[in-house]
Amino acid sequence: MRHNIILAGLAFRLRPIADADAPLVLELRGDATRNQHIHATSQIIEDQLAWFARYYERPGDYYFVIERLDTGVPDGVISIYDIDDKSACGEWGRWIVKPGSLAAVESAWLIYRCAFEQLGLERVYCRTVADNQQVVSFHDSCGITDRRLLPGQFEIGGKHVDAVEHQVTRQAWSEFGPRLKRLAELTARRVQRG
Amino acid sequence: MDRKQIEQSVIAALAAVLKCEVGADTSRQNTPQWDSLKHIEIIFSVEDELGIEFSEKEMAGLDSVAEIVSRAMTLHAA
Repeated sequence: MRHNIILAGLAFRLRPIADADAPLVLELRGDATRNQHIHATSQIIEDQLAWFARYYERPGDYYFVIERLDTGVPDGVISIYDIDDKSACGEWGRWIVKPGSLAAVESAWLIYRCAFEQLGLERVYCRTVADNQQVVSFHDSCGITDRRLLPGQFEIGGKHVDAVEHQVTRQAWSEFGPRLKRLAELTARRVQRG
Repeated sequence: MDRKQIEQSVIAALAAVLKCEVGADTSRQNTPQWDSLKHIEIIFSVEDELGIEFSEKEMAGLDSVAEIVSRAMTLHAA
């Protein structure tokens, strides 16, 4: 949906995605080193713009570009979507960070802040293709212990694949959030120094 | 410090963060638990241990014990 949430962190910020970012999305989702575990994306810009047009009208869907605070250069994308107002719950994902970027930890920290502080959610979850072991490990490393296997959750390349779901409540966030922030602070100092 | 000592320090730092067996051939490619968050912890741990500092650009490329040791050797000698 169209939104105006801008969340500035320490070295990076989240800002609403726009049509001008269509080439960025194609670049990120078309990167063969990173796209084995995501749904296939058309590499035609008009298709991406049509996807954006549908996204702008979809309630409960917040798509962001992750960009550097110092240069404004985009380093990736991230989203919160499928928000259920009744249960104050949503999913975060569509998370892709450019190779070589140090935005992973801070962008995760920012999306949790967005979920709990900006959107007032009580619970968020993230579903990762089970074979995407380093991303599954990332969520484990955050200290998220509420996880479960979802057999055949995704269909990718015509095959059903399992997912691992990590769930985070507001209470859990208050427990592991400070560690993510500390790591984001350390990383930000290095990004600012170059 | 010679290469062997630096390698031992790097391996010890990785083993402490990853909580698994680490050897000279350990890399992000063959170690699923070496994720983006652990990578940050590893780099800062190695820096503390060896009294060096990698640049932002270097950090992302340090994706194996061998790479970290090589770069640490250069910084240590400087």
